[in-house]
Amino acid sequence: MEESTDDIEQTTVEELEPAQAEVDEIETESAPESEHKENAIATSLIPIDEYLAAGVHIGTQQKTQDMLKFVYRVRTDGLYVLDIQSTDERIKKVAHFLSKYDPSRILVASARQYGQFPATKFSKSIGARSMVGRFIPGSLTNPSLEGFYEPDVVIVTDPSGDAQVIKEAVSNGVPVVALCDTNNMTSNVDLVIPSNNKGRKALSLVYWLLAREIATERTIPFNYELSDFEAGI
Amino acid sequence: MVKVEFCTSCGVRLKETGFVRFPCPSCDTELGRCVSCRQQSNMYECKKCGFVGP
Repeated sequence: MEESTDDIEQTTVEELEPAQAEVDEIETESAPESEHKENAIATSLIPIDEYLAAGVHIGTQQKTQDMLKFVYRVRTDGLYVLDIQSTDERIKKVAHFLSKYDPSRILVASARQYGQFPATKFSKSIGARSMVGRFIPGSLTNPSLEGFYEPDVVIVTDPSGDAQVIKEAVSNGVPVVALCDTNNMTSNVDLVIPSNNKGRKALSLVYWLLAREIATERTIPFNYELSDFEAGI
Repeated sequence: MVKVEFCTSCGVRLKETGFVRFPCPSCDTELGRCVSCRQQSNMYECKKCGFVGP
């Protein structure tokens, strides 16, 4: 009887040790991050340090099941950190995807304050259309409205803030591309760009990279600097 | 380009309003998503290149 109890205790300890090691590994901040950075540097659009400086990887203290696959780790303060490599890959793919569409049929929407300036700049640089600030319901579905417009693809800055745009895009059968943070649901979103969609610098960087990559895909000149996409404080 | 008639995720016929067809971001193969798969954010995978979305 005693032997069997010992066995149980031993297995429990054996099971716990690797689990504790795993937790330690997650909690160790510098080692895995630097390794991850080295691997990503070779193929990324810009140096990883620039992503980190803009805070593109910073998530929120909430996470959704939809965004879990893009989460790299959880910081000790409970903040979920996004995987920059997946952000970088998605920016490349979305740029390739958008370059297939007529630029005048692309709609960029941003209800979020910090997203308005970069979204407008992005739309100007690629020749798309932007709807920033309050989105008038029916703009994509009601032909009698003055600003009625039927896009072929919609880009939104925040799926929760731009819910009306997504709703109308769904009823029109238009694909939706969205910048999603760790706390966003991806329902009715067809293509996710995992990124911080709350930061001024992060939004500028993501929109600037998208515009630059679309210009590269289309082999047209792109004469904008990152500072041109940054909104004033 | 051949128009897909079925949802890439669940295989249902694309006939109700709210479905979408779009090129794969990696290989340009056309993908389809039905309205419920879009709403439930169901995963889709390109059969040609293996791209997984959303």
